[in-house]
Amino acid sequence: MSTLLRVESVSWSVEQHAILNNISFDVKRGDIIGIIGPNGAGKTSLLKCLLNQYKNWQGSIKLKHKNLTQYKPHELAQIFALVVQNSPPIFDLTVYDVVRMGLLPYKALFARDTDIDKKEIMLALEKVGLASSQTQFFNTLSGGEQQRVLIAKALVQKAKILVLDEPTNHLDIFYQHQILQLVKALNITVIMTIHDLNLAAQYCNRLLLLNKGRLVSNSSVDEVLTPQVLTEVFGLPCYREDAQHCGVPRVYFYPATDDQANDKANTPFTSSTAVYDNNKGQTA
Amino acid sequence: MSVIHALKGKNTWVFSGLIILTFFSLVMSITFGAATITPLDIFQCVINECATPMHDMVIWQIRIPRVLVGLAAGMGLACAGAILQNVTRNPLADPYLFGIISGAGLGATIATLVLSEDQMLALPLAAFLGALFSVIIVFGIATLLRNMNHLLLTGVAVSFMLGSISHFILYLGDPFATNRVIFWLMGSLTRVEMFHFYLISAMVLITLITIFALHRQIDALLLGDESAASLGVNVDKLRIILLALCAAVTATIVAYCGGIGFVGLMIPHIVRQLVGVTTMPLILGSALVGGCFLVWVDVLARSALSNVEIPIGIITSAIGSIFFLAIMYRTRKTG
Repeated sequence: MSTLLRVESVSWSVEQHAILNNISFDVKRGDIIGIIGPNGAGKTSLLKCLLNQYKNWQGSIKLKHKNLTQYKPHELAQIFALVVQNSPPIFDLTVYDVVRMGLLPYKALFARDTDIDKKEIMLALEKVGLASSQTQFFNTLSGGEQQRVLIAKALVQKAKILVLDEPTNHLDIFYQHQILQLVKALNITVIMTIHDLNLAAQYCNRLLLLNKGRLVSNSSVDEVLTPQVLTEVFGLPCYREDAQHCGVPRVYFYPATDDQANDKANTPFTSSTAVYDNNKGQTA
Repeated sequence: MSVIHALKGKNTWVFSGLIILTFFSLVMSITFGAATITPLDIFQCVINECATPMHDMVIWQIRIPRVLVGLAAGMGLACAGAILQNVTRNPLADPYLFGIISGAGLGATIATLVLSEDQMLALPLAAFLGALFSVIIVFGIATLLRNMNHLLLTGVAVSFMLGSISHFILYLGDPFATNRVIFWLMGSLTRVEMFHFYLISAMVLITLITIFALHRQIDALLLGDESAASLGVNVDKLRIILLALCAAVTATIVAYCGGIGFVGLMIPHIVRQLVGVTTMPLILGSALVGGCFLVWVDVLARSALSNVEIPIGIITSAIGSIFFLAIMYRTRKTG
């Protein structure tokens, strides 16, 4: 499999606090990569660097042997599609309206939707199983359905790499699996941040474990999910079981003993571990 | 063209209806006023020659300019409101919240203070400069805060600041000048001419064309800045272009018609119910409904009381506030 994306010693800092520290990895075509790690490890920041949404990061990210910064915004949007659950839209967007946004990177100013565009939108909605909901309001859908609409938008965007930020957040167990099964069945390259390590083990073929802005390990599920490393990173005793029935490792955590809890609490908090996000913030 | 596209599909009937309503409103509104004029008189004037010189004067010199300025101003205010609401993702955004009206008020106040009676023609220009001044201050502060999301709050703060300055000047100033500024701020289409229509409609046209060009980008903002950026939209640049456009069109309208509030706030809410929230149908619908609305409000302003005209801003504010209470009542009932 060929290398699609090469990340070389990427660092990013805000006011001299290192948020990302010297991170390097490759993404091959067809990979499903899970970025795991505790809160504030830099997972979302790493995604944003990949999408070129930050200005002053160091290092190099090469996409098909060309530097990321040399791509125009609409070219990048034809390669990366972002699926992220924002605050719900204020106005009553329909499902169709949301999926239609995926056409944007291919459209000139003034351009209207062609019949082919409309077919494409309907095809994408069929793929995520929501063809009958096209006129429904996005806000009235369940969390899992909203994620599927956003994935349909990414399909219309015809992106080579699907980037998901916590796709299973706020979803019940059924929807968590439904979304990840859908993502896997699309057969495209996927990079996602994910909190649930067992879901990550089940659906990703490679994991990047981040801690305090550093890449702790980058390997197969089997090699990354080791109790010693996980205990060190998450600060909780960890037990691993290689479940026969699903063929992937499962990990379990236990409440910290008093000593461990104190250790964790006494670790001085550095703002370098905080995810800095200058794009969020409520509309006034 | 995208204009035709937006008119197709499920909204076809709505837009056909609105276009017919607009023409009907234009013709019918000309018949209302102090002098009696029938639709037949207008038809005669347009096709051939007016029946009497009085009709000629009233129709061409007074009624038509007034109705057309009302239409263009309503279109501009409603479009500016719709764009501001979509761009800031705030359903309460209104061109007047950007300090435009208080800036125009300050400009007018200073003009009445320094200009003599016969230089009053410069009042609109002073108001326009004042409006522009306030918008630049609002932009400047929002840029300084590095947060375009605070634009509306900045606008409200600047609004109060400029308002207090003009009130202070008016308090100290001569009562005649004070009266003039206060009446002007209430909004009126009494003194408009065809020239004003050309100016305002040119601004409205520029706004519409820009919005039609950028309609996909504006749509993308509805799902959040981050999502829009991932689709290749330069969010900050887009926002500044659109805000500047809204400011320019509103300032032009305020300069000639005075303060006409609530149109930009109210009309887009009605139009969303009719044709949906995406930019193309919303803007076209807002333009048509806003235009009709202001034309009929002006009819009310000039014919409700037999001996005196009511300032148009008073009527729009009265209707607007009742409308808002009604919206709140409805949302209370449904959830």
